[in-house]
Order: sequence, then structure tokens, then C-alpha cells
Amino acid sequence: MSRMQKFAWFNLAVIALTLLVVFSLLPFLGYRAMGGLGCLGLIGFGPLFFRKTPGQVVTDERDHIIQWRSWIFAYAVFWVVFVLVAVVLSAVVYGEDGAVPVNVVRISVFWAFMLVYALASIAILVQYTGGSKDAE
Amino acid sequence: MPSKKQETLTNRIRRLRFDNGEMTQQALAERVGVTRQTIIALEAGKYVPSLLLACRLAAAFGVRVEDVFQYEGGSPD
Repeated sequence: MSRMQKFAWFNLAVIALTLLVVFSLLPFLGYRAMGGLGCLGLIGFGPLFFRKTPGQVVTDERDHIIQWRSWIFAYAVFWVVFVLVAVVLSAVVYGEDGAVPVNVVRISVFWAFMLVYALASIAILVQYTGGSKDAE
Repeated sequence: MPSKKQETLTNRIRRLRFDNGEMTQQALAERVGVTRQTIIALEAGKYVPSLLLACRLAAAFGVRVEDVFQYEGGSPD
């Protein structure tokens, strides 16, 4: 397993842990359970997978291409979801003349972060499994 | 413009490794500066390398690039 794959699995594990914490606490704490989203901070340890080891290639051109394509895919999907949520879902949930609560906006940042990292990580794993196609 | 469907790029990396003292994938990877996973992907035909890596691979075996990679172009549309 390459370091990029380990990084992707680590991200997915952190996201799963975060969801577990949030939804476990939700029945007891209500909105305050969203504090569990702080677990996403563990993703900050991800770059440790890319520590340089003497005499060992950490990542190469194929890894960079896979990473690049994964982030482009993740941000592209995020953008579509963002537009749909902002234009359609907000109007459906809060009404045409409604107002989106500040807390919802604040928490949506964390959900968007989770979405982007989950999509990028899945894309990384899929490309390593199915082949990464051509160099660019 | 050539038809993409008919374009193929095959390689003889596995053959050349064995012809060069049964060189391991790891040894070749270290020599050309990539990970072993990339060598595996190249041999499986799942990855087409950059021109620079193709040249490095050829240099590692002491052969020309066209001795490592064989291109079969598609016919024009």
C-alpha cells in the first residue's frame, strides 16, 4: 500500500470517527453534538504519512497525478453540491423569503470539508485500484 | 487525428528486468526514482509514464526508449 493510499484510508477513518461521534452524541446533546465535528482536526496529522525517509521514494509522478485528479474531482462535485444546496435546498427548507440560521451556515462548512476530503480519498483509492491512466 | 481506441502502448519492462540479472521491481524503482507500486502499474499496463520516466527506464536498462515501449498508433478517422 502506497503512502497516498494510507493517507486516503486515514482520512476516511477520521471522517467515519467524526460521524460516529456526532451521531452518537446527537440524541443526548442535540445541537451541541456538532462539537464532535472537531474530530476532523485529526486530518491535520495526514501529512505525517509523507515524511521523507532517507533512500526511499515517498511519492512519484503517478502519485501526484492521482492526487491532482482526486482533488479536482472532489472540488468539482463539491461545487455542484454547493450550488444545489445554496439555490435549491435552502429555498425548500427555509422558504423563498426565509433566512438561513447562522448555526446552519457555520456547521455546513464542516460538512463541506468532510465531503471534499471523503470524495478525494475515495477517488484516490479507486484510481490506485483501477489504474491511473496516463501521465500528463 | 488518430483514433484513441486503437492506440496502444505496450512495454517490455518485465522482460528487461529479467534480462538484467533478474532485477527486482524495488531495485528498478529505486534506480529510476519511483515507488514499487508505479513499476507494478507500468508492467500491468495500467499506467503510461511521462517521457522523462520513460527515458529513465530506458537508461536504467541501457537500451533505447523504443526498446522498452512499443507504440501502435491508430488509423486516422
